[in-house]
Formats: sequence, structure tokens, C-alpha cells
Amino acid sequence: MNQFLLCQKKAVELLLFPHIEEIGVIKNSAIRLNGFLNIVDDGLKIYYVQEGKFEWTINHRPFILYPGDVALILPGIAFGNENNVLEVGSFSWIHLRIKVNKKGQLLTGSWSSLSDSETRAVSKILQMNSSPVLQKFTEAGHIFKSIQSELFNQEIGYQARVNHLLDEIFIQMSRQFSRISNPGRDFPSTFMKLEHELRQDLSHQWTVEEMAALVGLGTTLFNDTVKSYSGFSPVSYLINIRISEAIKLLKKSDINLTDIALDTGFYSSQHFSTTFKKLTGYTPSQFRKNHSRTK
Amino acid sequence: MECIITIELGTNAVRVYAFDLNGRMLGSLKGYCPTFHSEPDYSEQDPDQIFITMLYVLKNLLNDLVHPKKYKVLSICFSASMHSVLAVDKRGNPMGNAITWADNRANKEAAELKKSALGKKIYKTTGTPLHPMSPLTKIAWIKNNEKEKFKQASKFLSLKSYILQQLTGEYMVDYSIASATGLLNIHKIQWEPEALKFAGITPAMLPDLVPVFTSTGRLNKAYQTSLGLSADTKLLVGSSDGCMAILGDGIIGEGMANITVEDSGAVRVMGDKVLQDEKQLFFNYLLTENRYVSGGPTNNGGNIFEWFTRQFGDFKNPFDIEDSMMELINKASGISPGSDGLIFLPYLLGERAPIWNANARGVYFGINIKHTKAHFLRAVIEGILYEIYSIGKTLQQHRAFNTLSINGSFGTLPFFVQMVADIYNKPVRLMHNYHSVSYGSYLISATEMGIYNSLDEAVKTVVLRDIVTPEKNNHGTYLKYYKIFESLSTKLANEFADIAALQQS
Repeated sequence: MNQFLLCQKKAVELLLFPHIEEIGVIKNSAIRLNGFLNIVDDGLKIYYVQEGKFEWTINHRPFILYPGDVALILPGIAFGNENNVLEVGSFSWIHLRIKVNKKGQLLTGSWSSLSDSETRAVSKILQMNSSPVLQKFTEAGHIFKSIQSELFNQEIGYQARVNHLLDEIFIQMSRQFSRISNPGRDFPSTFMKLEHELRQDLSHQWTVEEMAALVGLGTTLFNDTVKSYSGFSPVSYLINIRISEAIKLLKKSDINLTDIALDTGFYSSQHFSTTFKKLTGYTPSQFRKNHSRTK
Repeated sequence: MECIITIELGTNAVRVYAFDLNGRMLGSLKGYCPTFHSEPDYSEQDPDQIFITMLYVLKNLLNDLVHPKKYKVLSICFSASMHSVLAVDKRGNPMGNAITWADNRANKEAAELKKSALGKKIYKTTGTPLHPMSPLTKIAWIKNNEKEKFKQASKFLSLKSYILQQLTGEYMVDYSIASATGLLNIHKIQWEPEALKFAGITPAMLPDLVPVFTSTGRLNKAYQTSLGLSADTKLLVGSSDGCMAILGDGIIGEGMANITVEDSGAVRVMGDKVLQDEKQLFFNYLLTENRYVSGGPTNNGGNIFEWFTRQFGDFKNPFDIEDSMMELINKASGISPGSDGLIFLPYLLGERAPIWNANARGVYFGINIKHTKAHFLRAVIEGILYEIYSIGKTLQQHRAFNTLSINGSFGTLPFFVQMVADIYNKPVRLMHNYHSVSYGSYLISATEMGIYNSLDEAVKTVVLRDIVTPEKNNHGTYLKYYKIFESLSTKLANEFADIAALQQS
């Protein structure tokens, strides 16, 4: 790939893509002081190294990237070279305008064809990873190359294809991240991680697809594995956690039942009440009364 | 038709079984319950999640199997892991999670007590080794470290006591679970004042002490309705998982030892006397007024083989550890006994019996240039079972036994059974597809309802059909390596302490 740089508002190639802030390739043959500044902004950035060796800091942690490596910089994360030096070598990058909602979830935008539930899963996976670097992830290089040629050649359907390729890069990165954090060996610890994520966001209407994505499995294998390990289907397990948490909240008498229902992920206080009674025989308010007496 | 239900409240799952009155298993279900480790030394479970899981699994078994076939449930008998502690407030509500047997936060309390004259006295009266697993030291830890919580706490329960209280409104603890708290005088069968004083509590802060056959009060009306059980369904307080396992394997008197290899492991014997040991090596738990279960627990059982498999197994299918383990066992069987001189100390999780050294760590010893991956693998399994042997050997100095029985998901693997038989040079009895803990609970229920005249008579009906006999030449080989194993396990004490200190810093 040759060097190039397209910036939003300056490059006509990006007119149809307001979500792409910047895309480019650089080939640098001599060290440049103040050539790679350490900055923080609210965009999402993906860097792919083609040649050379780059010492970058991401979120104040040092990383060394070699050809084939990808760095993912989430919105609001500091990124750059510690001494602001641009090292020798070549890399391509893309900066995307990605919004973050109140819950901290990444919102890809209307250009993306990912479903809401897929976007949530992708967002969770990208955010829960301990390392922002994927090693030897050459798929990203191929996708970058295709985006570039679509933008420059502008053949029929290029608008759709560029957006598809952006989705593609998110999908491939998520899959790779979840493969790395769940190497398919330790289901007990993988399940604990999943259980932790569920508890962190119990009010969310989790789907089996989302849960399976976090573990890095397809839904069929995920269902079978959870069932044989835990005795529960994923959804039943989730209901179990919901009721266990609700019991704790019921015993603290200052929270009202609707809030408990919604906080623990039931659609409504009615839904909470029926599910609770089916399992325990008590309605939530009877249960609360029983447990507020001194014994 | 009538049936008996058994419920096991284990550290990672609740298991519910149904038996007909003749002890034929009708069906079973399990439900996973997580253990939380918010700090490296901590190991906790959520009492309400266990309760909900228990209800869910019980309800499903009743609806899938018992109600459709019109079985009438005569009794439900409980068993549980030992050593759990749960503080509840004056309304009976949990003050945080329950602390499980695997929790080591009370390390300091246990170490100090063990050195003291009071500690020796407490071990003699309570029979429970002074170790952070013991509720005695855990409650002392809460007293020393969570003063406000300690002040607010109205009772300290075992997890089973909490579950029974939720179901019936009554606070009860059976002799067996109570005898594993370090707070019970097992000779007099009453709470031991000096132990309670050390923990800073009064008898009123503990549940009522009852024999294992005791039926609790009635199941609360709401649960009768939601579970579809009648008001006269008996709830039996039952015993601990360890005591149930030994009953389920048909052991009621002397002369036999029982081995469990699950994630962790234990070797147990039964008798009408307490095993008094100067070095405080054994536990002594109370089953009934005149029966004690004594033995030693190891931290490092099947979980160490699982660890090895995760690191070095093939995993052709994601997460399919069973398949990977079987393949490794196949490879290990191609190496001769003794692993051609490679020895493994399995102390990855520190060790309890017989060395009682929390600082102990894993060791490979004797590696030479000819050793292959398969040798390292076989040595791991041999190391786990040498440890099982070393507990049995120490026990044997106090009580002779000629036959062995074995249970547990790892213990009953054919490769493991043969190796145990060879190392011990004794025949080993077992039964495949058999859950000893649940069967023990069935025997308690059946005895209570008069199907048998006594527990002795009930247990004597157990026949473990499969017998594995030792192969003559192997015992000698294993024994030569075992000598080195045994000597290394104590010789390295200083280095274990040093490396543990470095690992913790």
C-alpha cells in the first residue's frame, strides 16, 4: 500500500462516510521527533503495523508492535509514543467516530448492519479485554487494504461495501479477542467470567447470542456446554442469579419492588412477581414481610 | 409408590437424587453454584443462590420424575460440605456470603492457636485440626477483623443450617457438621466452652445441636405448595458429605478404609473411638453417638490432573476436558509404573494431611534426558495417588485396615483405581455410576423410617460389586519411589516457605 491520508471534511472520498474521521497509510524511513504525539480523544482507533517495530503506549501501558499486529484504542483512551517519536516502518490506521452511551456501551451508528444485540456483544468483548493488542492478526491488514481500494476506486456498491468492511473488522476483532481470552480449555474459569459479566449488568436483557459471544462459542455448543457443566440452560441460570440477587434486595427493606424487578432484569414487577412465586411459593412482598421480623 | 429424596449441598453444585424405598436410584439432577474468590485467600458462596438453586433443582426433579409417576415423597435427607460459616443478623438474614472450607483467611488465627497450649487442648476435645478451614478460626477472624459485623451478628450458621432454616424456620445443625466446626466437644457431644471463648461466641449464637436422624419442623406452607409436597413430608437434617460417602460405600466398622478422589481427596476410616494423634494430623467427625469418622484430607486431587490437562492436553473440541483427559490417561498408561524415575509432588494448592503445610508447592524430581511428555503426565497421576497413600499410611499407624473402597469422579476412573490398588497393595472395591454421598443419605433416611433396624444393618446391605486386585510386581516399584516422595515432602519445608513467601509478595 502506498502512503495516503484522508481526513473528514477535507477528503471528498469520505463524503458518504461521516463516521470515518481519518484513514491513512504511512511509510516512514527516518525517525521523526514529535511525529507521533500522545493524545486522548473520543474517537475509536485501529492501527495495523505492516513493517518495522513500534513502541506505543496505550492507556499508559507500553506495548511493542510488530508487523501483523493490531492496536485497538477505545474512545477516551490515551495513545501514542511516550516520547512523541514516530519510529521507522509503516502502518495503516483508521479513526472512527463512535458514540458511547450512558452505560458505557459503544454505539456503532446507523452505517452498521450489526443488530442491537450483536453491537452490545461486540462492545462488551472489546471493552473487557485486558490487552488492546492483537498479535499476528493479518486479517485486519486485508480488510484495511480492501477499504482503501473501495474508497479510491468507487465502483458500484462501494458505499455499502466500505460499511460492510468496517463491520467485518469489528466482527473479526471481537472473535479474535474472545478466542484469546477463552482458549477453550478452562470452562470453569470461562463460566466464572461470564457469570461476573452477567452480575455486573443484571438489568440488561441478555440474549443467549450475547452470552455465547462473550465466551467465544457458537450458540449451540454454548448451550450444550453450559447445560452439561452447570445443569442449567443459560437462560435458567440467568433467572437463578436474578432471583438470588432479588432476594438480597428484598431483605433490604428500603428498595421498592418495581425497582428491584427492573434492577435484577425482570420486564416488570408483574413478571418478577410471577417468576418469584413460581419458584419460592411466595410473592416478593410476602417474602419481604417474612424476612423483616426479628427471630 | 413411595420415594426418598436426598439433597447434597456441595461446594460447586447442589445435587438432588430420588430413590425408591429399596435404594434403587430413580433419577438425579444437579445445579451449579459458583464459589467466589474476591481475594486470593477468600473462598465464598452466596447462601441465597444456593437456596434458590436447591429449590430449582428439587422442583425440576419432582416435576420431571416424581410427580408424573405419582411417587409420594416420604422424606428428604440433607448432606453438605463441612466447615462453612455464615453470619446472620437478628432477623436471620445473611450478612454477606458464606465462607467455605477452602477459604484461608484465618491462616494467622489458626497458626497461633496451633502453637499454643490452648490449641492442643481444643484439638483434643474437638477432634478438628487447627487450620483455617475450621469455623472456629474463621469466626475468630471475623471477631478480629470485622468488628462491626461481629457485633451485629446474631448467629453463626453452617450453610446447611441456613437452608434448613429457610425451609422450616428452625435453626439446627447435625452432629457431623457440628463436629467439623472445631467448636464441638466430640466426647461429650456439647459445645466446647474453651473453643467458644476463643471464637468469642456463646452457645445461643449457634444452631441447635441434633443427631443426624432428626427431622426438622414442617416444610413451610408456601414451599409445600410450590414444590407439590404434602405437609407430612419429613425433612431429615442428615450429615456431612464426607460421612455420607463412607456410609454409602458400606463402611460402618473397623478394618476398612475409604478413599475419595474428587477435585480434592480424603482417606477415611470409621470406628467407635477417636483417633488421638500428637501431631494433630487427623480429623475426627461424629456420625452418631458411638461412631467416629477419622481421616485426613488432601487439597490436591483430580483438580491437579485437570490443571495439567488444561496446560498440556490436546483439546480437539473446545472445552472438552473429559476427552482430553481420557487421551492423556491413554498416553500415561504406555509408561511403566514409577514413570522411569520421575517423581511429582502435587502440592500446587498447599497441602493439608498428612504434612499440613500451606506453603508446600509442586515439584518434579529426578528428571533425566530420557523423560518424555508422557512421563511428566504419568508422574502427575502417580504423585496425586502417592499423596493419597501417604494419608492412608499415616492412618494405618493408628488403625489397621485390610480392604479399601474408593469413590469420586476421579477415584473411580479405572486407571486410578488400578494404581491405588497397586500402590497400597490391597484390593480396592468400588461401584461405577454410583453416588456414594447420596446413597449414604438414602441409608440414613431408610434407617430413620424403620426399613432397617439400625444404621449398621442398613450399611451392611451395601455391596460394592467391582473389585480391582493389585498387580504383584508394581507395588515394589511404587514403594521405592514413594520413599523418595515421602522424604521430599518434608525435607523441602524451608524451601517451600521461601518460595511461598516470594510468590505471595
